[in-house]
Amino acid sequence: MTEPRAETKFLSPFDVPTPEGAEGWEEMYPYYLLFDPERREAEEKRFWFYNGMHFPEPMPAFDMITAESCYLSIGLYQGRVFQIPTVLGIEHRVVNGYVYITANEVSDPAEIEKRLEVFLPRIGFYYQNWDMLVGRWQAAVDSAIAELTALEVPKLPAIEDEQELLHDHKLGSNFRLMTAYDHCIGLYNELNQLHFELLLLAYGAYLTFFQFCQAAFPDMGTQIMTQMIAGYDTTMFRPDDELKALASAAIAHGVDSSFADGRTPADVLAELEQSKGGRAWIADLEARKHPWFFMSTGDGFYHHHRAWVDDLRLPFTAITGYIAQIHAGRSLDRPKERLLAERDRIAAEYSQLLGSDEERASFEEMLGLCRHVFPHAEGHKFFIEHWGTSLFFNKMREIGAVMAEHGFFESADDVFYLNIHEVHEALSDLGLAWSGGTAARGTVYWPPRVARRKEILARLSEWTPPPALGFVPEVITDPTVQLLWGVTADRLRAWASQSDDEGITGYAASPGVAEGLARVVRDVNDIGTVQQDEVLVCSVTAPSWGPVFPKIAAAVSDIGGMMSHAAIVAREYGLPAVVGTGHATKLIKTGDRVRVDGDNGTVTILT
Amino acid sequence: MAETPTTVLFDELRADQVELVGGKCANLGELTGAGFPVPPGFAVTTAAYERDDIGDAVSEAYAELGRRVGQSDPPVAVRSSAIAEDMPNASFAGVQDTYLWICGADAVLDGVRRCWASFHNPEAVAYREAHAITRAGMSVAVQYMVDARVAGVMFTLNPVSGDRSSIAIDASYGLGVSVVGGEVTPDSFLVSKVTREIVRRQIGAKATEVVADVEAATTVERDVPEELRTEPCVSDEEIGRLVELGRGIEAHYGRPQDVEWAIDRESGALFILQSRPETVWSNKPRPQAVAGGAMALITATMSGRKVTPGE
Repeated sequence: MTEPRAETKFLSPFDVPTPEGAEGWEEMYPYYLLFDPERREAEEKRFWFYNGMHFPEPMPAFDMITAESCYLSIGLYQGRVFQIPTVLGIEHRVVNGYVYITANEVSDPAEIEKRLEVFLPRIGFYYQNWDMLVGRWQAAVDSAIAELTALEVPKLPAIEDEQELLHDHKLGSNFRLMTAYDHCIGLYNELNQLHFELLLLAYGAYLTFFQFCQAAFPDMGTQIMTQMIAGYDTTMFRPDDELKALASAAIAHGVDSSFADGRTPADVLAELEQSKGGRAWIADLEARKHPWFFMSTGDGFYHHHRAWVDDLRLPFTAITGYIAQIHAGRSLDRPKERLLAERDRIAAEYSQLLGSDEERASFEEMLGLCRHVFPHAEGHKFFIEHWGTSLFFNKMREIGAVMAEHGFFESADDVFYLNIHEVHEALSDLGLAWSGGTAARGTVYWPPRVARRKEILARLSEWTPPPALGFVPEVITDPTVQLLWGVTADRLRAWASQSDDEGITGYAASPGVAEGLARVVRDVNDIGTVQQDEVLVCSVTAPSWGPVFPKIAAAVSDIGGMMSHAAIVAREYGLPAVVGTGHATKLIKTGDRVRVDGDNGTVTILT
Repeated sequence: MAETPTTVLFDELRADQVELVGGKCANLGELTGAGFPVPPGFAVTTAAYERDDIGDAVSEAYAELGRRVGQSDPPVAVRSSAIAEDMPNASFAGVQDTYLWICGADAVLDGVRRCWASFHNPEAVAYREAHAITRAGMSVAVQYMVDARVAGVMFTLNPVSGDRSSIAIDASYGLGVSVVGGEVTPDSFLVSKVTREIVRRQIGAKATEVVADVEAATTVERDVPEELRTEPCVSDEEIGRLVELGRGIEAHYGRPQDVEWAIDRESGALFILQSRPETVWSNKPRPQAVAGGAMALITATMSGRKVTPGE
């Protein structure tokens, strides 16, 4: 079927209007991330899609490093290490503060053949030595996290310490501060290199298995495919398990009545300090929280998505909910045995339905491989996006605090309104001024700019980015793009032709049908507004939102592919979910009554 | 050697008795014997076709059927059951005659004779020629008729895609003739054979239904009340029972089946009216595996070649 070209073209990235009040947003970002009018002809003919799955909010200037660091690594492994035959790497740009990406694909068959010569032995090495390489990976991650934890951020004293400079022969505090910053960035980049070392190959295994299943069983939904692969004891469930244990502990210590909706963690802790049982519970909390409370309240890509260690609201809300569930007589145990037995039954039945023993052997082998790589593919998130990234942002807060102390900012967090290169410059400015004995120019240069950038970001957060820009390609071959973002040429054409009054459709991520009042949540910090039995409507459903799932009736997201973690969590809680709708947060308003059909991937606004 | 009988009850028949009672009756006997809920009935054998006087034998079998269902002159469907019919390579679907809601021994006998006559109608002759079927022989199935509130067909694969992990169900109000004959747009359900989830449901217009006119001993077509048209005519629970039966019948025969079914108006009980091998996808070559193991498959995927078992 050929479709008119007009339907497959999105707005040119050069024609996207700047929202009122956000003029000058470009200044926040490095020059190389902006669409360049000098390359307009080439740039607008390409296809760019909004990566709302990972970057659902406008990017504060500094936070752009989370995208930059990931794409440095993805392309490194895709193109320069593994030579994935069909893709060079992924490029990203920023439009009105939002991240758009495109895959540089390889379509020349001769070139693909040539790349295979490098690709085959290298991925062979990885798949064949998977367990050893996962061990090596974990050691490297542990080491980077330990180094980041220990990284010293020096203050700038009026007079240098005699011992340090005269006897220990250390670098001066200004040099050490600048070095600490570089080291901090370096360690974050190191963690992100590790981020994708094994992940792309895990996704390659998934994609292969999915394609095999789709060919053999055209009616098989992706939810069944993921269900056949899923395990239920990965690292990502551990933080939630600790909350459940703490809920039980609160009851055991007789302090469960201290937890109630509407109370702040500070109130609760103050009350707990007053009793023996309460102090015992606080000791439990201290024992259980490291490192699991390094879970971010978001997906680990924004500085303001604080980890649980820094913001106890989300874990305390969840503990309150779990206490209520225990009192209602509901078990908090994940029915792991039952889920695994059902997973194995389903896989065995599909295997039996295949036409030949040869097919069955391929199916079983692919399934075995996918299950083997699953714990890493899920578990890496805790170490990289949550623990490592939370530490990184906190270390940057320490640097921001030094700068604030010297008049650059009102508060440490203002450092996140400078991009990574500007922080480098500002630290030179500070170091020079400190050594020169004057006030830095930054003290007058940055405060108005930071204030203006906050205003711009507030305006940008009210703007809804279009799902894609430029031209839709005929086919999308990059496996990462298909799998992670659920972006296929068909889906893009559907997005491109979707008008506002039509129904909302996406991937049927978790079966069932539910109705309820919608709660549109654009920012993870608003997750506390979600009420019992509401339908969560968000740009992207993040894994750390797990604790809100027992409350909601269904979940809907703008962005999300086959392996979006939310789909797995929704299935675990037996909630209908539709992901990858493109526009749900734009079309649905909080308070709308909606029906979510997780069997057919549709969302209907009823009122 | 005992003389070949003129009539045989379904529960005395098995699948290998096609020569005696034709494909449909043999299948019904097999299903009955395997414990599936098939309305009782009997076959008028291919041997009877050669005989002059079958009246007494048919009347007696019909009376026995009446005793079994506790009804005198029970309503029955009289349908042809040719030797080459309902076999894996040819369905004969709709080529030969069917007479519904027949009551009384004389009417049954008349129906049997008309079925025999239809063996020579131009459609049947042409179908046999087209399928190069030389084995001729005609039996007739006389089966107790369920007063169906809802009825339809079930394929134990997706007839559109050939996906064997799916069960497709078409259902409409009244007797199954509306669905089989394409007279209504039925409700259509696609169910996963493995997870039992209803993966797709389409509500059809279902404007009319064919129901029994008990007084006149015939069937009549009437309009379905407006408010029932937009409702699904079967409940999820009924679909669940259908799927279990479909799975069971397919497992019994070891191949995908095309099943006609009905749900009794009074009792809500589900009945299998017939089951035959699915003939379209079953005769296509099964998808073949991509050669090699996981590494070959991954290489194919990552090189942009889709892993399609059919290639």
